[in-house]
Amino acid sequence: MEHIIILITGLQILSALLTHLLTPRLGRQVARLSVTATALTFALSVAALWMVLNGHSRQTVNLFDSGMLLLLDPLSSLMAVLIAGISLVVHVYSLRYMAEETGYSRFFVLLDLMTATLLVMVSAGDLLTLLIAWHLVGVLLYFLLGQNTRDVSAYRYAFWTKITYRIGDLPLLIAAVLLYQAYGTGSLPAIFEQISTEPGPHQVLGWPLMDLVAGLIALAAFARSAQFLLHTWLPYSMSGPTPVSALMHAGIVNAGGFLINRFAPVFVHSSEILHWVFIVGLFTAVIGSVLMLIQNDIKKSLGYSTMGQMGFMIMECGIGAFSLAIYHLIAHGLFKGTLFLGAGGVINAARKNDGVPKQDLYTFVIERRPVRQRVPWLLMAAITLAVPITILVFAHWVVSEDYFQKQSAIVLLFFGWMTGAQLIFAVYRMQTGNLHRLVMLSIFSFAIVVLGYTLISHAFDLFLYPDPAFRDQIYAAADFELIWFDVLVILVALVIIFGWISTSFNDQHYHPRGEYRRRLWLSFYALISRELYITDLYTRISRALLSVAGRLNLWLRWL
Amino acid sequence: MIDTWVYLLIGLFLPLFPLSMGFNFVLGRSRSVLLRILLLLFWPQIGLILLQTVNSPVPGWMVPLALFTATLYALRALALREVGQWSGFLATSAWALLWVVLRGDLPVLQLHLFALGFSTPLALLALLGAGLERRFGAAYTGLYGGLAESIPRFSTILVLVVLAIIATPLFPTFFIMLVTVVQAVTLMPLVAVSVALVWLLWSWAGARLLQGLIVGPAGVNKVIDLNRFITGAYALALTLLVASGVYSIGVLL
Repeated sequence: MEHIIILITGLQILSALLTHLLTPRLGRQVARLSVTATALTFALSVAALWMVLNGHSRQTVNLFDSGMLLLLDPLSSLMAVLIAGISLVVHVYSLRYMAEETGYSRFFVLLDLMTATLLVMVSAGDLLTLLIAWHLVGVLLYFLLGQNTRDVSAYRYAFWTKITYRIGDLPLLIAAVLLYQAYGTGSLPAIFEQISTEPGPHQVLGWPLMDLVAGLIALAAFARSAQFLLHTWLPYSMSGPTPVSALMHAGIVNAGGFLINRFAPVFVHSSEILHWVFIVGLFTAVIGSVLMLIQNDIKKSLGYSTMGQMGFMIMECGIGAFSLAIYHLIAHGLFKGTLFLGAGGVINAARKNDGVPKQDLYTFVIERRPVRQRVPWLLMAAITLAVPITILVFAHWVVSEDYFQKQSAIVLLFFGWMTGAQLIFAVYRMQTGNLHRLVMLSIFSFAIVVLGYTLISHAFDLFLYPDPAFRDQIYAAADFELIWFDVLVILVALVIIFGWISTSFNDQHYHPRGEYRRRLWLSFYALISRELYITDLYTRISRALLSVAGRLNLWLRWL
Repeated sequence: MIDTWVYLLIGLFLPLFPLSMGFNFVLGRSRSVLLRILLLLFWPQIGLILLQTVNSPVPGWMVPLALFTATLYALRALALREVGQWSGFLATSAWALLWVVLRGDLPVLQLHLFALGFSTPLALLALLGAGLERRFGAAYTGLYGGLAESIPRFSTILVLVVLAIIATPLFPTFFIMLVTVVQAVTLMPLVAVSVALVWLLWSWAGARLLQGLIVGPAGVNKVIDLNRFITGAYALALTLLVASGVYSIGVLL
């Protein structure tokens, strides 16, 4: 039964081949073949996940005795369902969305190949297979984003994506070679087993091998998941077809979280790398969210939102919540894919209705509806603080007495709290005619978010990392010194509280900004609207390199 | 002393800067497509045959020079617009990397195959370049563009050939580069980083070449695409390349 993993990956390759070969005979109808194959792949992926959920042990399949290994384990089966699921939706959506585009069947061939490559990537059981799939994703994405060959700008941005992905390929390549050199095998299970028995002895250039490899893998993950300084490709890649933007959330842009999870045994034995991963993720989450807020293009805004979410995902890895990152990437993949596929509809609706809310006076006098009110500030701020504290006390009472001492548990709760606080803030900004219902909904949603985060991530933990000792090792590798951890928790708590107080202050004492503050604000806005000048800097660097290349050619007489 | 001279001679065929300029001069002067293909296929093989006449090991200073040559030509390829020159520079950059592999203990036959693996897609590109010259008068990027729309079969083959040259999986060049990086790590990890950077520059150069040729609206003049027979022949050659790449997986693992 473990050969199901070969079927899952092989079916899409076969579909790509048949779609290409049968196009002259079937015309545009050939796309239905591609959709059917993807539906079958999805069904098989669900079956594989069902097998794993029912206790089917981890299996390694040698692909036609070539030495290429495919893994059927919790991580690969879960990711396969996500990839096949989103790919199926994208396939069905593209049937009509791409109907008037040139290169219709080519698009489906590329979609099939991309799905197959992603499935191979998540189920790769050896370094070579992983490298091949990791590299091919960038190449296929380049051509998918450049589906419209007439569009020069689409290709320019597709190139940004490709070159960033190639930059990310190289650290993974070197990490793979170092692991191969040190352990004499390319098989991931064999390498991980050796690492767990004897992690220490290998050194490269005086550095512990595990630190170096973990650092390189983290770099590869950063490039794939658009972390700060390697993020510029993401918002601009939205100039590609909308289905491709949606597909990017099926294991392409979120592959960074997958990669870190796949190499969890390496990260467990590294020392400081996860702390750096946390810092990069945190920075990306903040910058991505800030840049998202000023966009006026819906797809670009979603692109920066993805950047922020990827920052969150990487940050979760950085604090040792590896399985939470997988839950995050699945949840984000589903909701962001939906948003992208709905973006066209939103644009269409905006053309008919500008969405500007009517003034209260108008609705009261003309439409004769009650004036909408805001939920009281104090109540919402109190809910933000009270719910997590209640859950914490409840957990201390019911789950275990040393709950406060478990950094991992606090981390999960804390993430739930931060997400919930955003929700409550969004609710506070709403106005409604029925305050009671809104308050109840807020409390209920907040509790669901905080509890959901904690419980679901715990369930993912049990599924992906059933060995409790290994789970503890992951959190231990990411452990901050208690003082820094406390400082961080207090800092973020203060930021949330400050946010509430300043909101209240602005509501009650609004007055126009002074000249100095206005200028400062405008400068900040200019800086953000130019995307911190990072794109401009990269453009300058690449132009300078091209200029150097041109001059060298001139000096050396083109020889 | 004699060995040093022989090594310098080899540096002409497994190009080392500035001797590498000799190969690019000869390639640039060759007007016949057949001659260009022969040069691309056999030039490094001569170097490898000469190498067997030398008894002393490869001097240590040759690897940094080879890396410099590979990087220099990969960088310079970024600014090229003529397909023939581009293939010459990529050939120079790729063959120079063979010096890194030479420091290892690989059998001579494997080295010949590596050189052939680098050369074959370049020879295919020389053929395609001649096809462009026949159709447009010059094989030049940014001059006409839009080939994907005007001659789709030709463009597909061109894309696949360029992908083969820039060492994309599953073409043999990918596996050759992989072995080169493994050998480089054995020498020194920093050498592996340099090889990886050369690989990155190839990807950049390849993307620029493709974008200058296939992207954009089609030109006004009607151009004849490849016929089914020639397309099939190219497809067969590329399939053989992929097959040899897939075979390499078995060898590597």
